[in-house]
Amino acid sequence: MTLGSQVPLYEVRNASKHYGSVVALDDVSMKIHAGEVVGLVGDNGAGKSTLVKILSGAHQPTSGQVFLDGVERHWKSPQDALEAGVETLYQESGLAPHLSVSSNVFLGREEYIRGPLGKLGFLAQKKMDRIAHENLEKVGIAVPQSNRSISQLSGGQRQAVAIGRAVSWAKHVIILDEPTNHLGARQAKEVLQIIKNAKAQGLGVIFISHTLPHVLEITDRIVCLRLGKVVADAPTSTFDAEKLLGTITGLIESK
Amino acid sequence: MNKALTRVKAAFGNQQILLLTVLVVMVAFFTSRNSVFFSNAVFGNILSDWSPVVLIAIGETFVIISGGIDLSVGSTVGVSGVVGAITMEGMTNHHQGQNLTLFVGFLVTIGVGLLVGIVNALMITKAKVVPFIATLVTMGAGAGLSIVFTGGDPIAGGPAKAISLSVPDFGPFSRPGLVVVVIIAALGVILHKARFGRYTYAIGSNSFAARAAGINVNRHLAKIYILSSLLASCAGYYFYLRLGSGAPTSGQGGELQAIAAVVIGGAALSGGVGNFFGTALGALILTTVTSGLIIINVAANWDQVAVALLIAAAVLLQQYRNRVRK
Repeated sequence: MTLGSQVPLYEVRNASKHYGSVVALDDVSMKIHAGEVVGLVGDNGAGKSTLVKILSGAHQPTSGQVFLDGVERHWKSPQDALEAGVETLYQESGLAPHLSVSSNVFLGREEYIRGPLGKLGFLAQKKMDRIAHENLEKVGIAVPQSNRSISQLSGGQRQAVAIGRAVSWAKHVIILDEPTNHLGARQAKEVLQIIKNAKAQGLGVIFISHTLPHVLEITDRIVCLRLGKVVADAPTSTFDAEKLLGTITGLIESK
Repeated sequence: MNKALTRVKAAFGNQQILLLTVLVVMVAFFTSRNSVFFSNAVFGNILSDWSPVVLIAIGETFVIISGGIDLSVGSTVGVSGVVGAITMEGMTNHHQGQNLTLFVGFLVTIGVGLLVGIVNALMITKAKVVPFIATLVTMGAGAGLSIVFTGGDPIAGGPAKAISLSVPDFGPFSRPGLVVVVIIAALGVILHKARFGRYTYAIGSNSFAARAAGINVNRHLAKIYILSSLLASCAGYYFYLRLGSGAPTSGQGGELQAIAAVVIGGAALSGGVGNFFGTALGALILTTVTSGLIIINVAANWDQVAVALLIAAAVLLQQYRNRVRK
């Protein structure tokens, strides 16, 4: 690949995060290029969640820098990162089950009716229903009706909506934290297909997962964390299942 | 047979139709026991009982949909009403005009509501006290202060005009009653059609998702608790106009009536569920029971038992519906 020579789409450089005396991340650097899927793996407590929180703007690193398109950014909140085009799908469901599909797709980005009432916050619900349906179809998700509430959907459909929402809004980077967890084989395959579509659109994708076959199938490059440090950062083609597992657990030293 | 069952289930699924049915049955029952019940005078009376209850119940609807609870609304009705009444008594003693006095009295009354709301909001969003405890604190403080300010007696001696405003001159509605209808209708539209309502549901449904979507959850919750207290103080002013005095006891138990109305209306205390018409009808059912039991000569103490039974029925129905859905 020739990606290495370009300016990375998204980059974290020498990031450390301390919680009191606990060092959760220790001098971690990571790059994502446009149209690249990077797998982020590591055992529980390796620092994946902390790194995701820094990338998504939920936490600020104790030291280190974040660059989007070569420009240094200081996220003060997830909102900052969202507005800059960095979408995150969290492991804990990012959907409000009592709201409809389209209300979830547009949550925090509502469309308002025209005129003074719109300025007061009155919602253009029909417009949102229509656009949500179109956008989900565009990323490859067929949801029967976008005005149905999330609680009426199956687990797989919910996850598809959550990912579809993130992909359809993401302008640059999409961070997916365990997107195939708790999904059946067919549903997981659909989710992986959505990620392939997002990659084809030129998005940078960070794929965090414990399901190693999925990581090996979908990613271009794998970054492995152990005890808060990067212990491997190499093209996926250099890994097989055994080597990947060994790198995560530390039975194989590959740095 | 099966078809009939689905139809019954679908009907039960529509809480509003069920509530209307309950209401109609109640009106028919009370009328059959005493025909006086079916009269403009009684309906007017029920509506003027309903107005303050529905005011605080609509505020409580926002709070409960957001996943919280506001126990302070009842005592806020009392304390805001008496502080307003003391102001208006003082102004009247200093020979101020009636209209000015009523206007300043209104501002002072809702000012107290605003203050209580800010205290609740700060405790819940800044000090991270759970809503139950935070509003229990203001509930106790408000009830205590009402007694301290008044010595326990109603404060009269304000503008004589006040009580004449509460005459039902629009069918069964009085002028303050109409204002209440306008306020709650506006809030109903905001709950179901505007961003403010949408975020309220989102926070109650999954506050993590709301935060991840960029909603400022704490600021929204602060607004909801302030709204709830403001509406309670509007109810305090309503009682002042109706009685011509501010009593520390008005609003007593109001929080339970409000919560009961919201729950009967179909809301879930776990958040994310609830609606405007349900609450409005829930409040109407509560006040109809109270008036009806008086008119058919059942001892007033049974009123609370009847309310308890209604709540139990509403909760059981909700659990049944949850099970059907699963």
